[in-house]
Amino acid sequence: MSHEFPPLEGHISKAFDGALASLHVKVIEMGGLVLDQVREATHAYTEWDEEAALQVIERERDVNSYKKTIDSEQLLLIARRAPVASDLRAILAMSKCVADLERAGDEARKIAKNVIGTGARPGVATSRDARHLGELATSLLRLSLEALDTIDTARCSEVIARDEDLDQEYAAGLRRLLTRAMEDPRHFEVAVEAAFVLKSLERIGDHARNLARHVLTIEPDGG
Amino acid sequence: MNQQSDQTLHERRRPDAPAAVVAANAPSGANDPDSAPQRRDNESGLNLKPSGRTHIQSSSSLEERSAQVSGQTVGHIAVENPIFMCRDVNVFYGNKHALKKVSVDVGRKQVLAMIGPSGCGKSTFLRCLNRMNDTIPGARVTGSITLDGVDIHDKRQDVVQIRARVGMVFQKPNPFPKSIYENVAYGPRIHGLARGRADLDDIVCSSLQRAGLWDEVKDRLRAPGTGLSGGQQQRLCIARTIAIKPEVILMDEPCSALDPIATARIEDLIDELRADYAIVIVTHSMQQAARVSQRTAYFHMGDLIEVGETDKVFTNPRHRLTEDYITGRFG
Repeated sequence: MSHEFPPLEGHISKAFDGALASLHVKVIEMGGLVLDQVREATHAYTEWDEEAALQVIERERDVNSYKKTIDSEQLLLIARRAPVASDLRAILAMSKCVADLERAGDEARKIAKNVIGTGARPGVATSRDARHLGELATSLLRLSLEALDTIDTARCSEVIARDEDLDQEYAAGLRRLLTRAMEDPRHFEVAVEAAFVLKSLERIGDHARNLARHVLTIEPDGG
Repeated sequence: MNQQSDQTLHERRRPDAPAAVVAANAPSGANDPDSAPQRRDNESGLNLKPSGRTHIQSSSSLEERSAQVSGQTVGHIAVENPIFMCRDVNVFYGNKHALKKVSVDVGRKQVLAMIGPSGCGKSTFLRCLNRMNDTIPGARVTGSITLDGVDIHDKRQDVVQIRARVGMVFQKPNPFPKSIYENVAYGPRIHGLARGRADLDDIVCSSLQRAGLWDEVKDRLRAPGTGLSGGQQQRLCIARTIAIKPEVILMDEPCSALDPIATARIEDLIDELRADYAIVIVTHSMQQAARVSQRTAYFHMGDLIEVGETDKVFTNPRHRLTEDYITGRFG
């Protein structure tokens, strides 16, 4: 008689359970760090906080370090356990999530780098748009991490739907930015940099959406 | 935006986070098999909830594709132009009901792997296909097993001929106490398959070549078969089986007594042989079943639970029992 086991748990080998759980925890930890990075990078840009920006750039090393550790753990897990079925899908999904988290971390660093050196500080309206988009991206990333934490397919669907809203907000923000740039060409450089920042935030939303899609592959029949 | 909750998500994940998270990251591995992290509640971290999967997964494609005849097996029990067609096969050892209404086809020129925990009935079912259960006192087989459309239990059937058409390789290599040559020549000789010595030589040579053993033994065909290594003996047994030109080869854990190198060679051989034979293999190794077979059947306590394409069974099995077994969640 079989029992219903939660994803990643229930193996006869407790060592296998432990290894999967350890991997899962590390991926969530990495996600939490990236979430923090995105929030701090957005704050650094909108408030023109050079210290916060430097911290984001510095901490990017930790994000990369997580990726290396997780990649190495996954390799060992596959070599030792030859996982199949749901275990295999979960490990592959987590591997893809790590890649997307690492890229989201890169985008946060790019945003922060605008604040350092000769970066051009955004105006009130541009800051407002960047702050709004940053909040949307952070919210989406947090939701996708919660979905990954509990392997929650309903939340995944919500993330995928809400990314479309973020894309629309990005498009609207970009239009407003271009309008301001055309009205006042003296601030063209600021507008160009701001456009890159908005694009980075939109990409972070895409990475959050990808996370959700990867989680859905763990339980393809809806769990 | 709720910064507090964002900080909570990251704060509790840092290396200096609460003990529950640190414990999960402590090296557990093989040194501490009981160190699986405890499940935690929402406040502190992971909250792995039951996946909510039903006993049999439901999907529209399952209803479309399922071909349940016995009413209990998930997946495709039938194939086109099967060599064997088994329907509602029951086996009793005295009062013990060892195999329960098993229905499945065996396809030509493909490998069907049978997996399941010890005592599930897979070897019992294998022995049904060449009526080896007839040799077990108290064994009784019911249901229909047809070989090329003819019932193998029909009174007019010659069981010796059935066993010539359906060869078998056993777990422990069992060469005859004869020379390598005679091991392979014996079957064709007694079945009258060779017109003379030259024919017999050809059969022995081609069978040993087919089994991948010729180069290793061609200079010592008179040497005793029992003097070969375990892997060579098993290949000799395979050569002996194919020498009488069967249509089906049954293999009961053929590699379990062999080292990894010999196992790899046998698996390669199985892949080559399926070009000409239907092969049914019982194996305890999930990885072997995944490597060598095109279809996989999962048995559990006498029931055939699931049968389907091997790739699908090992990436996304349909039945909860199959998933649990192949992922090592119960034995």
